[in-house]
Formats: sequence, structure tokens, C-alpha cells
Amino acid sequence: MKSVMLLALGGVLMAGIAVADEPTLGDLLRKIEALEERDQQRQEQIDRLERELAAERETEERPAESEERPGEPTEQPERPPATATTGPQTDPLDPTPARMRAAGSTGEVTSGTAFNPAISVILDGTYAHFSDDLDDPPGFDFGHGHGHGGHGHGIEEGLNLREAELTLSGSVDPYFDMMVMAAISDSNIELEEAFITTRALPAGTQIKAGKFFSDVGYINKQHIHDWQFVDQPWMRELMFGDEGLNEVGVQASWLLPTDTYTRLGFEVLEGTSSGIANFEGDGRHELVTVLPGDDNEPQRNRWRADKNLTDTNGPRLFTGFAKWAPDLGFDHAIQLGASGGYSRVWQNETGHSSGRLETWDGDSRFVGADLVYKYGRGGLMGHGNFVLQAEYVYRELDVEYQSRQFSDFSTLALTGPSDDPDQRDQRWKQDAFYLQGVYGFAPRWNAGLRMDGVGLTNRTFDDGTDDLGRRGMRGDLGASWRYSSQVTFAPTEFSRLRGQVSYIDLDDGHDGWQFMLQYNMSLGVHGAHAF
Amino acid sequence: MKKFLAGLILTLISIQAVAEVRVVATVPNMGMLARAVGGDAVSVTVLAPPDRDAHYLEARPSMMSALRRADIVVAVGAELEVGWLPAALQGAHNPRVQPGRSGYFEGAAHTSLIQVGGAADRAQGDVHPAGNPHYYFDPERMAEIGYALASRLGELDSDNADQYRANAEEFAQQAEDQVAEWKSRVDDPPGVVFYHKDADYLAKLLDADILGYLEPLPGIPPTASHLRELVGSLRGTDGVILYTDFQSSSGADFLARELGWSAHQLPNQIAIDGSVDDYFSMIERWVEAIVR
Repeated sequence: MKSVMLLALGGVLMAGIAVADEPTLGDLLRKIEALEERDQQRQEQIDRLERELAAERETEERPAESEERPGEPTEQPERPPATATTGPQTDPLDPTPARMRAAGSTGEVTSGTAFNPAISVILDGTYAHFSDDLDDPPGFDFGHGHGHGGHGHGIEEGLNLREAELTLSGSVDPYFDMMVMAAISDSNIELEEAFITTRALPAGTQIKAGKFFSDVGYINKQHIHDWQFVDQPWMRELMFGDEGLNEVGVQASWLLPTDTYTRLGFEVLEGTSSGIANFEGDGRHELVTVLPGDDNEPQRNRWRADKNLTDTNGPRLFTGFAKWAPDLGFDHAIQLGASGGYSRVWQNETGHSSGRLETWDGDSRFVGADLVYKYGRGGLMGHGNFVLQAEYVYRELDVEYQSRQFSDFSTLALTGPSDDPDQRDQRWKQDAFYLQGVYGFAPRWNAGLRMDGVGLTNRTFDDGTDDLGRRGMRGDLGASWRYSSQVTFAPTEFSRLRGQVSYIDLDDGHDGWQFMLQYNMSLGVHGAHAF
Repeated sequence: MKKFLAGLILTLISIQAVAEVRVVATVPNMGMLARAVGGDAVSVTVLAPPDRDAHYLEARPSMMSALRRADIVVAVGAELEVGWLPAALQGAHNPRVQPGRSGYFEGAAHTSLIQVGGAADRAQGDVHPAGNPHYYFDPERMAEIGYALASRLGELDSDNADQYRANAEEFAQQAEDQVAEWKSRVDDPPGVVFYHKDADYLAKLLDADILGYLEPLPGIPPTASHLRELVGSLRGTDGVILYTDFQSSSGADFLARELGWSAHQLPNQIAIDGSVDDYFSMIERWVEAIVR
């Protein structure tokens, strides 16, 4: 307190002196001398700077390949810091200021052009031959989109161009990165992923928003290009959807500041994936019939009634995940993951030409576990590398079943057994897993085996009629299996050629072989692969 | 109150003094440089072991957790680590070390590279239009980068800025002496054949002619036809074949047998915690193999 007063007093005194002073002739002469001296100093300074500049130019004019000696640089090789930073910034809540370093000193050397996003195109083509036309595994045809309209990852027989995938990515500004991935087929363009991620949030947190592959499990967020087999595991396709869990939403994740890699995250998603969050919404069921009328003239009738499905706005699906990876040195890496999710809505409907409408309306949940182990001794081009991965997902659909029939042009009336309230509650319980191993048996070559199992638990409800003519009865189905083997030749990291043979053994007694060939090439800036 | 404030300030100062700059280096040679320049004021973690080809690594969770806690990442740059470092940085959730920030340091940006430009066309193999990234074969270029690193570390930790600069100067002096000594030993060196365009910087330093590469194109393993072509064009000349410990020896052995040359398999990275001396002796082995 005392010092503040002294300071204030000093300030007042100095101000007083400045005003009171009258300049004398002696003062002015001294001032002129001082000015002349300063002028001379400035001239010297200018001369020195000019000499330095000339020397610098000479250095720059030497060709880049010259045997230039670093010598003892007199000037700092880098600009001085714009802000005085003291010590390493260890406070996670106070990260580096978001401001970029001045242009030209950012310090990265790339061949990419300055402001254009990184561009890559991935082309994937297949040839497939199936010994038999097999259906989906029993119990899993339900809620799984058929027809694979547009851009599906289902393999079809014959020659196929599965996709041309165009990826653009880059930094929006110091705060966000963006990535857009569009799958182009000959009839349409579909956004496979389009999202932004934060790059400046403190304390190891990151937010992702847009349309993206969920981080649940391990293989869910991989693209065709990353798969080790021609097709995806049944688990990804049948438990979540043709494209896995790919949703519009927001993800927040946190990487813990520990020695051991631990990442936690949750996602708030719109909820449209057929396997876990199928959504139909409200609306009317319509049927148009043309039947003989009273005088045998064809008569056109329109049947219309409310579907009785609730309409719930998104977000409807909520998921969480945890990943943990201890440091096992340079040769081994392992990652364990657990995930789960809840969808407020799971709906489905099937209309029959007989005028009957079946609806399912309820919610769903899933839990999963995943494991990846990678071994690499650093052999030439993948030689000796081994990857083992396994995942399991368990799913429950808790739905109310209604089977209704048009009783007149605008009324749907319940039919058996769903006219009995006890028969309307259906709790579906299903699961799926896969286990695969891939080994680099020679430089640029690898081979792998995969086992797919679905329906180890397979409590479903039949939409056909039973012996007593009742519908929607519980039917406990068994497991279906698929065994696949592949051989891949990757001439470089940008191209791969693959052959695969699968044997499918369905629960319904059908079995068959599938033979597939694939080429997958990437052009342009090829993004680094996540673990 | 006064006592409390004084205590707080003292505590903050002591934390400041104890806190090391956490450096994550991509490869051991860069780790060596970081330790040489940083001295006791830094702690260094290295992401890739010496016996791996840094072109072909995979991003791993342990890299991400190391980068998560890093104050600065020291990379070779010029797209050597392009296959894995961006993914590791993306997964690290650490704004301090993202490209463009003070905590992201690419050595390649602070020295002159050879073989800059050229078509960005992968029909020419795994090309690096930004320049040859294997500059760690040239101690003088490493010294140049050492100065830049000292200045960057000084930005992060101004208290030790002078020490960093002094360390960088010491390393530069050692590099200069070493290179001068090697040059004095080399008189009219034989031509060299490398497996990959990696030791080109050393060949340039010693004025040795590069007669060819075992790879037909960068990143493509030696083929029989390419080796036969090499044998055809080099028969009757004198030279030496050099390749690194993660490159296959069959091509080199074939060439050595056909031409009657010697072939040497040598490391191109030092041990994870290797010292400055280890680095110079690693290069020295290459120099000796060329000089014989």
C-alpha cells in the first residue's frame, strides 16, 4: 500500500517538472548535438543492415544442392517468438494459443498445394461367383435393407465396380479439420462421411460432428480400403446396417493423459441404421387394389389407414465406447474396446398385398467388445506381420408387434395373435461375432482366415403363421456360419489385389461357396491409416 | 498474505525449473539430435525403433499416448513419416503438436534438401517431391537443423534458450570436425550402389559417385531384370554395395557375386537412446565401407 502511494506521488512530481521547465539556449544546443549524434548512429545502422542483406542474398542465390556449410549463423535461423512463452506449457487447460505461426515459418514441407484440400480417389472393383443364391442368415433378414439400392457394400455376382470414393480433407482454420468422402456410382453420389473435428480443444478432448462411421467396436469405422477381406464381417452388416453404424450426429471423446492409451467417448446420433435404430416414422399405410366390382367391371379401390407408429424426432441413438491399449513395445500392440448403445426408437413395417400390415415399434440396445492384436518385426513390406482381430456384439430389440388387416377402406383392425395384448410384446435377442487373422507370409503378400458366426443367441419372432394359424410367434433359431480365406498381393501401399473364397453354412440347412476377386487402388494424397 | 504470495511465486518458479520439455522424436536419429540440443532440460521419447523402415510404420495407440503428453514433436519431415505420423497426431488430441503450431517441428524444413522437385507421379515409385528425406546421413545438415531446433526449444522454454543454443553450437562443431576428418580420409572414393535413395547425402558429402540403386524405383523391391541390367552396366567397374539392416540382402548379394564387389549391410538409425557419439560412429561405418 505504501509503495503505491509513493509511485503516485512520484508521477505527480514528474508531471509538474515537465510543465514548469522553460527551455534555455544551452538546452537547445545540447538537443541539436544529441540529434546529430543520433542521426549518425542511424546511418551506421542502415549501412550495417545493407551489408547483411547483401550477404544473405548471396547465400540464398546458391543452388539448393550446394554443399552449403551451416557455419555459425549470426542471425537466429527462426523468427523470435511473437509472444513471450515461459517454459513448456504444461497446463492442459491453457493450450497453445490457437493463432498459427507466421506464414513461412510453420516448418512443414509437403508437396500439397497451399490451400487446396488433400484429394484422393479410391477405386474398388470386384468379380464374384456364388455356387448358390443364399438368403441372409435366418433371423437376420429382418430389418436388413434388401435390394442394396445405390451404394451398398453387398457383393453381387459378376463384374462390379463397388465404388469410386472421392476424399477431400484439410484444415478449415486453426480450430477445425474437415473431411468429406463421397462414394460415386454411375447413377448417384452418396456422402459416405462428411465431418469436422476440432483441433484445438484442451485436455485431450475432441469433438466430431457431421456424418461419420461410429467409433463403436473396431471395424465399424473402417472403409472398404482398410478391410483385410473383400467383404465386411456379417457382424457389421447384420447387427448395424449395410454400411455399419454410419450416422449423422456428434461425437465427443477424451484421451486420458496416461502412459497407457485410454480413450473414452460418447455419441449422440440421429438414429437411422437399420440394424439397431431402424426408423419409419408416422404416416399412413396405403394400398391400391383393382378388383372386379358389382357388375364385373374392374374397380379401383384405395385403402388408407394410420400406421400407428410413433413419430420421434432425433437424436434417437446414443452410444458410448472405451478403448484401452497398453504399451507393449515396438513389436506388439494390443487394443481392447468395449461399446454399447441405446436407441429410443426401433420401428419396422411390412405391408402385404392381402391388405395386412405388420408393424414393430419399440426401442433397442446393444453391447459389444473388441480386440485387436498386431505383431510386426519390421520385415520388408509387411513380411512377418500378423494381425488378429475379434469382435462380438449382442443386441436386443424391445418392440410391440401389431398385425392388422384392413376391415374397411380406412380402418386397420388387429388380427391374431396380436389382438391378444400378451402376444404383442416381443423381445428379440441376437448376437454376432467374427474372428480373423492375417499373416504377411512374404514381402507384399498376406493371407488370412476369418470365421463369422451370427445368431449364437437368436431369439426371434416369426411373421408367418404357426400350426394354429397364429402369427408373430416366438421362434428360437440357431446360428449361421461363414468361413473365409483370402490372399492379398499389395504391389505398393497404394494398390492391392485380393482373392477370397468363403463357405457359408446357414441355419436353415442351405450352404454354398462364394468366390471373389478384388482390386483396390488409391490415387493422390493417401491418408495415413489409423490403428 | 505477503508470505503466501511469496510462497506461491517460489513454488511456481520451482515447478518451472523442474518441468522438462517433453520431446517426442519420430526416429532415433532425431531423438539423438533432440537430446544433443536439449540436454538435461528435455525428456525424449522415440516413436520408431532403429530397425524399421520409417516409410512403412503404422500408427499405434502407444504413439498417440506419447504425443498426447508431448510439448513438441521432432520429425524428419519431407513426407518420410506421412504414412503414420498424421494419423498418430490426429489420434493424440493434443493441439500443441499439430502441424503449424510451435510444437510441431520438421527437420526437413530447416535445411536444404537434395532431389527436390521431380514429378509427383507414383508411376516413378514412392517419390518424395518435397526432397530426399534421408538427410540424417549428413551431420552438417543435422547441425543446421540443430540450430533451428535450439531456437524452437527456446521459444517453448525461454529460461534455457541460451543453453539450447550453446548445445547446438557444440554439436555443430563436432559435426564439422567429424566431416572434415572423414573427408581427409577419402581420396577418389569408389562408386557406390545403394538399395534405396537413402545414403545419397553421404555420397554427396564424400564425393562418391552413385552408380545405381537395387530398387528399380523407390519403394519397389529389386527385380531380377533390374539386377541383371545393373550387372550389365557395371561389369568391369569398381564399387561397393551398401544397404541398411531392414533391407533384403538377396539383391545385394547377387550383385556382389556377379561383380566381385563387396556388399555391406549397415544400420541407418542409432539405438533408441543412442548418443551423439553413437550417431557419428554409425555414419563412420558407412564412411569406412566406402573408403575401405
